[in-house]
Amino acid sequence: MKKFLSLLMCAVMLMTMVSLASADPAQEIVYALSNEPDGIDPGVTNNSFASPILENAFEGLVAYSTENGSLIPGEAESWTISEDGLTYTFTLREGLKWSDGTDHTAQDYVYAMKRILDPNTEAKYVDFLLGYVAGAEAYYADNSIGFDTVGVAAPDDRTVVFTLAAPAPYWIDILSMWTFRPVQEATIAANGERWTAAADTYVSNGPFRMAEINLGESFVLEKNPYYYDADAVKLEKITFRFISDLGTSLMAYENGDIDGMSSIPTTDMARLKAEDKGVVVSPSYGTVYYDINNAKEPFDNVLVRKAFNLAVDRLAIIEDVVQTEAEPAYSFMAPGYVVNGEDLMDTASDNGLSEEADVEAAREALAEAGYPNGEGFPEITLSYYSNETVGKVVEALARQLQDALNIKIKISNADWAVYYDDIIAGNYDIGAMGWSGDYVHPMTFLALFVTGDVNNNVFYSNEEYDALVKQAANMTDAAEAFQVMRQAEAIAAAEYPVLPLYYKANTMLMNQKVAGFFVTTSNGLLLKTAYVAE
Amino acid sequence: MTRFLVKRIGMMIVTLFLIALLTFVLMHAVPGGPFTSDKQVSKAVMDALNEKYKLNDPLWKQFLDYMRGLVRFDLGPSFKYQGKTVNDFISNGLPYSAKLGAITLVFVLCASIPMGIISALRNGKWQDMLVMALATVGVTIPSFVIATGLIYFFSFKLGWTPVYGVDKWQGYILPVIAMGGYSVSFLARLMRSSLLDVMGQDYIRTARAKGISETRVILKHALRNALIPVITVLGPTVANLLTGSFVIEKIFAIPGMGGYFVNSVTQRDYTTIMGMTVFYAAFLIAMVFIVDLFYCLIDPRIKYD
Repeated sequence: MKKFLSLLMCAVMLMTMVSLASADPAQEIVYALSNEPDGIDPGVTNNSFASPILENAFEGLVAYSTENGSLIPGEAESWTISEDGLTYTFTLREGLKWSDGTDHTAQDYVYAMKRILDPNTEAKYVDFLLGYVAGAEAYYADNSIGFDTVGVAAPDDRTVVFTLAAPAPYWIDILSMWTFRPVQEATIAANGERWTAAADTYVSNGPFRMAEINLGESFVLEKNPYYYDADAVKLEKITFRFISDLGTSLMAYENGDIDGMSSIPTTDMARLKAEDKGVVVSPSYGTVYYDINNAKEPFDNVLVRKAFNLAVDRLAIIEDVVQTEAEPAYSFMAPGYVVNGEDLMDTASDNGLSEEADVEAAREALAEAGYPNGEGFPEITLSYYSNETVGKVVEALARQLQDALNIKIKISNADWAVYYDDIIAGNYDIGAMGWSGDYVHPMTFLALFVTGDVNNNVFYSNEEYDALVKQAANMTDAAEAFQVMRQAEAIAAAEYPVLPLYYKANTMLMNQKVAGFFVTTSNGLLLKTAYVAE
Repeated sequence: MTRFLVKRIGMMIVTLFLIALLTFVLMHAVPGGPFTSDKQVSKAVMDALNEKYKLNDPLWKQFLDYMRGLVRFDLGPSFKYQGKTVNDFISNGLPYSAKLGAITLVFVLCASIPMGIISALRNGKWQDMLVMALATVGVTIPSFVIATGLIYFFSFKLGWTPVYGVDKWQGYILPVIAMGGYSVSFLARLMRSSLLDVMGQDYIRTARAKGISETRVILKHALRNALIPVITVLGPTVANLLTGSFVIEKIFAIPGMGGYFVNSVTQRDYTTIMGMTVFYAAFLIAMVFIVDLFYCLIDPRIKYD
């Protein structure tokens, strides 16, 4: 009898195990972030580590498709653009709600923009309003003139109108940034800037809402039942856990404790790919390059900049040093902007560069610049900010340049805070840098090289280029602007304002059971339609 | 005794003030500011930030403002993390760091003192060799190497303990060993040499000559005297353990105070640098003070007048 009973129990246990295994998997994931964001207020922060929260807890007028990353209607179901390209009228979906269940109207967009234009808000991306929206600059300088003067209005509960100071055909792209997402006035009025400190005051409007905030440890998101498209949202819970040690997060990932992680240790990249461990590579709209101080001797000579560009073995840096998935770059401008099926960079020149170094040509260019065999060339400094990978690249780069050009190079490094101040002030020769587009439009790159631009840290200056960029910025027809921007890119890239190395690619690890997610070119992880498959 | 206490507390306040002043001056002397982020902000935004955090005020005024907040235990807002205060970091991080530290402390005491005693009593025998070999390993191998090795074997290969975090009690095992390794080794060696020294003293021979049992000689006469140097180093050790280890917290992804302390320096988060330094210093000074009081209890010959 005893034997029979134990057999019976075994059978029951087996059956429950089988039924458990065939049940739907829990729609919960844990994703490791290597850094804690400096803030999660969409109006305030410009910190890329905030992206996983802001992309999934908030939604703006326009959103990214989770199928192909193209811009699609978000909270706005449709919009019209006036013929002069200045007035954008958005119609919101019906019955929008905040994550606390209260009504959410067009007025919330006006409030969000007004808040950004208040200097006390310390909005880091305020420039994207100042530079485009009519009246924004005057209002930011003096709030007392009244918000009526600014080109943001809500004539009724479902209409948002943006009026621009000058036509900008890429305004819709800019609007996709998290800066332009609405925030709830009630919670901010009640809690001040601490509204982002607790889950119950962190009211949002996206597919997910905040369930837990554990300072220094994690953010936990849950499905937002009030989201207009809640039926499409499958994940019930997302835990973003901060694990700053990549070795630890990789062991946790390979152990199955976490489902994904935002950064991959470079030394493990090759192995993880070979073992098919779920490496996800997605295109990015960004370029890794080295700033060259165009205003300083000897780099004010285009031939010197050319020589340096020719002397670099990009392939060796990508494959041997960084060990990443990336295309070599011959221009500052990254591919990725497509109009009528054509990429802006499709016809771009390689500017005489190739994936390997052309030492002969580099020496010739240097000789032509007046430094035959490197003679008389001053010792230059290659600066970088404290970062392990960048440090390796800098060493390789210095070796390549020294060997090819027979010149002396000193390496210097500092904390980012110190380093970046030096770059802005022009106290450098060559410095590690890079740019990731805030939005997918060539203007984000082109503006970097306009004379006097706040981000023009290489001090490149070319009147013809400046004129073309200005012209393109004001054109309403995307196809026409496309051609002008191509010309501008060609002019600047041919004068080697920077030392481009490779085009950035976003890499991350994700458990192969997780499907339906999308990574945008600005490395935004969209989990709206993600799910855990069996 | 009262005079001693008043004097010591007065000294502690002066020390703390000097530490705050020195940190403040050094921090502002280091190039770079708190608002340099990965993307450049325009001059208008920078001006607004400097205005809001009163960085345009003369330094002495900033310092006075800070001290005014400090006496009310208000460590100010973080310059880096929007909407967070330094008090938030401490009140959130300290429980994690302190709990880990307290467990580590118990582990350190329970392991190091018996190890030191055994090795002193079995001087030159295999037990002594073994303890000293372990102690040498513990002192020479850095904690992050021990930590990584422990995770690799016990969490990754064997799956006995979690890889990261302290959500389950098993999560404490590896960080405690990694963090306590150095202190165990150091204290065991100290205990051993101190006890060996005491055991050679005349009064131990006298005690034995009186016919007291060996256990009683060791526990009553030798150990009590041998513990004094150990207690001296215990003050700083306790402060160190309780306020968290940046390296250990980083490797095991424990949300303690250590991470904020180190990151605040590279990020030039002025208020956090100040707050963490002052907090740590106050803790350390208090621990040293408590140890001084303990001397009286252990050794009646020490008196404070």
